[in-house]
Amino acid sequence: MKGLILKDFLLIKGNARHILLFLVAFGLIALQGNDFLYFVPAFISMMMFMTTFSYDEYNKWDAYAVTLSLEKKDVVLSKYVGSILLLIVALLGTFLIAFLVGMVNQNFDFEKTLFLLLGCGGSILFIQAILYPLFIKFGVEKGRIGLFVGIFLGSFFIGFVLQNVSLSIPESVVVFLKQYLPWLLGIGLWIVLILSYEIAKRIYLKKEF
Amino acid sequence: MKNILEVKNLQKSYSDFVLGPISTHFPGGVIIGLIGENGAGKTTFIKSLLGIIQSEGSIQIFGRDMNEEAREIKEDIGVVLDNSFFPEVMTANDIHKIMKNLYKNWDPGLFFSYLDKFSLPRNKAIKTLSKGMRKKLEIATSLAHHPKFLILDEPTSGLDPIVRKEVLDLFLDFIQDEEHTILLSTHITSDLEHIADYILFLDKGHIVLEETRDDIMDNYGILKCGIEEFSSIKKEDVIRFLKNKYGYEILVKNSQVLKKKYPKMILDKITLEELMVLLVKGCVL
Repeated sequence: MKGLILKDFLLIKGNARHILLFLVAFGLIALQGNDFLYFVPAFISMMMFMTTFSYDEYNKWDAYAVTLSLEKKDVVLSKYVGSILLLIVALLGTFLIAFLVGMVNQNFDFEKTLFLLLGCGGSILFIQAILYPLFIKFGVEKGRIGLFVGIFLGSFFIGFVLQNVSLSIPESVVVFLKQYLPWLLGIGLWIVLILSYEIAKRIYLKKEF
Repeated sequence: MKNILEVKNLQKSYSDFVLGPISTHFPGGVIIGLIGENGAGKTTFIKSLLGIIQSEGSIQIFGRDMNEEAREIKEDIGVVLDNSFFPEVMTANDIHKIMKNLYKNWDPGLFFSYLDKFSLPRNKAIKTLSKGMRKKLEIATSLAHHPKFLILDEPTSGLDPIVRKEVLDLFLDFIQDEEHTILLSTHITSDLEHIADYILFLDKGHIVLEETRDDIMDNYGILKCGIEEFSSIKKEDVIRFLKNKYGYEILVKNSQVLKKKYPKMILDKITLEELMVLLVKGCVL
């Protein structure tokens, strides 16, 4: 599987110069102190990793990959591991920039930065967990369309529920959530990721190239 | 001799095409030429063998079941597919870095020696290479982990005669080791006349001929005659025939016997291409 992860990183490496340029620009803008910017590198890491699916599809890589000395499921697992590794790099890079900016502006807040980055990372992982089975099932283009349709329908459904159903949450639940929400979100995300991988793996094992 | 490839009741069904059921086996140390017209099922057969598509039936390679030991078997197989390879922004160096992490027996020295032999650049993206160079890179990649069995889908299609000769010579080098075997699909049947030991001929998803090349070349022939002579030929001697403006071309077997039986007729040696055309397009008497 190491070879497969390396393949995706070598594909991404082609854009290294642009990324470096972007990070410099990002660091300069971050000096202004806009917290929203901390989301950007993680988002870019997601977009960059998505390009590996496009390259694979365009070059019919999967047909060749399954003839190599590997298990079919490794091809799927490598996508998850690779994108998580890239996300970690992006988050560490962002943390470093945030630290440097904080030092320059003398207002570095470790706890706030950490929570911001974990939130960003979690959100990206959640989106990837939804996207990857769609990419494997329908291909990159249709998968993206599927995601947009999903977001639209999901937002519509949530909006409808919030407008038409009166929710009364007991005080004890609110207290519980305030205390344990990050942990619950972490565990929930982990479950979603595992489910996503299992679904993607099953689709891939049945897929023909 | 131990079979290197054994296929039993291999079948793959699509809405408009069915491959098989195919049952066949081949010994090691040979070149198997897989021929047939476009859409005959050559690529489907190869994809089934390699697990690229799912099919029914049993496939054993090196005496081991592909359904159970695919990864171990694939360690000793080199593959060139018609239209899929590494992403074309990658270079030969990138391929080396990836493959050395996938194959236990990846041999960098051998890989780079093939690159040098074929004058292939190490740091140029695949997309910048000509079709011939790209194909040579695919072949070099398939050989650099010391495979025992090469499975090649149209490895010479689109190549000019000089590159084709280079590639075929490479296959002949490979087969010098008695343990090595090649399964090679191609439209260019003349290539196989020089190198193949066995011919597996598919038509409409079924095997229509499966013999050694020598048996085909020695036994089959084309009997050429006019309309009047044609009516004197016995039905059992005619495998297929085609009528053209000069007369008849008749595919026959046991050509030495028939030469004596029909001494006034011309009996030519057959090429694989003629055999293919007559078997696919010819009429049954």
